[in-house]
Amino acid sequence: MLPASLDEAVTALAASPAAVPVAGGTDLMGAVNAGLLRPMALIGLGRINELRGWQYQDGTAQLGAGLTHARMGRPDFAALMPALAEAARSAGPPQVRNAGTLGGNIVTADPAGDTLPVLAALEATVTLVGPEGGREVPVSHLLTGLDPMRGGELLGYVRVPLLHAPQVFLKATGRTGPSRAAASVALVLDPARRAVRCAVGAVAPVPLRPLEAEQWVSGCIDWDGDRAIDPAAAAAFGEYVAAACVPEPPQADPEGLEGGPAAAAVRLRRTVSVLARRALGRALK
Amino acid sequence: MTDAGTTNAATTNAATTNTARTHAATADAATTGYGTDPLDPASGLSGFGGADGSPRVSYLLRVNGVERPVNGAWIGESLLYVLRERLGLAGAKGGCDQGECGACSVQLDGQLTAACLVPAALAADSEIRTVEGLAADGTASDVQRALAGSGAVQCGYCVPGMAMAVHDLLERNHQPTELQAREALCGNLCRCTGYQGALAAVEAVARSRAEAAEAAEDAADAADDPDDGTGGAEQAAGAVVAAEAAQAAEAPVAEPVGQAVQDEYPVYADVEIPGQQQGEPENYDPLFGPMDGLGAEQQFTQPQAQPQYAYPGYAQAPQPEPYQAGYPQPGHPQPEYPGPGTPPEGAEPGVYVLPHQGTPQGMHQNTHAPEAGA
Ligand SMILES: Cc1cc2nc3c(=O)[nH]c(=O)nc-3n(C[C@H](O)[C@H](O)[C@H](O)COP(=O)(O)OP(=O)(O)OC[C@H]3O[C@@H](n4cnc5c(N)ncnc54)[C@H](O)[C@@H]3O)c2cc1C
Ligand code: FES
Ligand code: FES
Repeated sequence: MLPASLDEAVTALAASPAAVPVAGGTDLMGAVNAGLLRPMALIGLGRINELRGWQYQDGTAQLGAGLTHARMGRPDFAALMPALAEAARSAGPPQVRNAGTLGGNIVTADPAGDTLPVLAALEATVTLVGPEGGREVPVSHLLTGLDPMRGGELLGYVRVPLLHAPQVFLKATGRTGPSRAAASVALVLDPARRAVRCAVGAVAPVPLRPLEAEQWVSGCIDWDGDRAIDPAAAAAFGEYVAAACVPEPPQADPEGLEGGPAAAAVRLRRTVSVLARRALGRALK
Repeated sequence: MTDAGTTNAATTNAATTNTARTHAATADAATTGYGTDPLDPASGLSGFGGADGSPRVSYLLRVNGVERPVNGAWIGESLLYVLRERLGLAGAKGGCDQGECGACSVQLDGQLTAACLVPAALAADSEIRTVEGLAADGTASDVQRALAGSGAVQCGYCVPGMAMAVHDLLERNHQPTELQAREALCGNLCRCTGYQGALAAVEAVARSRAEAAEAAEDAADAADDPDDGTGGAEQAAGAVVAAEAAQAAEAPVAEPVGQAVQDEYPVYADVEIPGQQQGEPENYDPLFGPMDGLGAEQQFTQPQAQPQYAYPGYAQAPQPEPYQAGYPQPGHPQPEYPGPGTPPEGAEPGVYVLPHQGTPQGMHQNTHAPEAGA
């Protein structure tokens, strides 16, 4: 069934709690095809036009959960939220980006979900709409399970602050072309608060915020001047972020086991550190 | 989350919550059994249930401009499955069922999508265009001919999806750069050719379409020029030809479908009709169907029209018996295909010796793993 408004969809979901909402289907149908999920009913969210656009509300942008990755990758959106646009552009091949949505990416909460570190760095909030009305939840609370989605709720909107400052999203993958992140870093500048906010994706079940490293590096930036930073400080920031987000590697791999867990952890740390350093460099360029 | 320590704690938390949720969901599914009341109109997209109690629905799909009814389909069936198994349109191929390979690419309301990831029941009011719809009058489209001609076809499994992706690209971007072409094709995996042929085909079609459009424009200009004595008529005739060429070069979407469909809708040799299929006819290409666009003659037998739709090319294919359709009997005479690796006449030498370069590259600058020690 294809409700035409969010209210209709919520009513339909309340009427049949076993129904599964479907936005782009790119995550859901993979599970159905693999036999992991046998939906008893489907509620298609694709015709809810109010969820497919965005609007401005006192200093924030309210993004519809139905915005597709393809739409978010376009230049008009990129001018507003460059890091989110960059994440959307790298989230899979065109066939998937044309269908996959922001809301689906958040609800799936895959560790390698590309919009998640960006939303964490932006300190976005989401509006969950249920039969009793809507409530706003910080995206980090939703993702960490502090405040999970309740039965009968749909993700309606994502509220993102408009910072009017550089934002960077960088992603390391196992191959060229579209694939899921091995590690990703989102970094945004908040000049009004003189803050750097950074989140690391794909290295843990949820995006991680290295808060101490953020605080330290925002003290190293010349906010009033040309926002320059010493390259050594940027490199140290990278190391700091990596150390905060990737657990200490074991001392050494067992004898004769090359590329074991120790080597993998060292490599992951190095990857995160380079991504964070480059992200900072690009944001301050 | 204040530092790495607490973040990790939160992480563990999240992991356990997730598992808990999964368990709850499984238990739910087990106990709810047959789900909600199928008679309740508010109960989402559920129907009366099949033999096994799974919810089934009937709906109309609009495929290549034709309404096709689908009856009693399970709600979880993908568009790919319904196209192939219920509607007999075997053009879109199933490679992975996970959105990874692109062999099942179709256009849904003008957007390229992986048909295996679209719940068919929710595509009921969308315009679906499949690879069968690319061929006008049973002739392979310019893109399909270019793919065949530039060595982009070896085993051919990826080609229907590739053709859809190239059409989609060239509809949105008439002069794609190589990087743009690689980005557009990055969701279409090909295990045989190494993509050079597909990229060459994109370039060839872009060029020929541009030339056709230019010729049409020139000719139209000349025809507008009244002073041009004797040459005028000739050029005007040229203009008509060129304009037609340009039109033909355009993707075949402009025509109003209704009447054209009734009269001359292309017959798809892909239609799978159990009991009628006696192996593949000669000059039948598993990708493009009849190869008359490539100089061979159309010799396959036309599937019987199904009177209820008054529509020749399609037949409502009942569920084929497993493993009965599509496999030639042993000793079945092999059709002679033009060798896929050999250049057709008049092809530029050199196109076929390009080195294979692996998967499409340059998707995003930032998707390269950082080099060691950088
Ligand atoms: C080949 C391939 C490559 C991919 N690569 C990437 C990648 O690089 N990066 C990345 O981040 N992702 C990737 N993905 C994953 C996927 O495309 C994204 O997660 C996408 O954003 C999911 O959105 P969707 O609309 O398709 O979700 P759906 O599949 O429709 O839904 C996913 C889940 O969310 C629920 N849901 C959806 N919308 C709502 C809503 N509004 N309210 C409540 N619940 C909702 C559904 O019930 C379902 O459980 C890839 C997928 C594929 C198939
Ligand atoms: S079958 Fe759909 S992408 Fe592979
Ligand atoms: S997969 Fe064999 S030709 Fe592309």
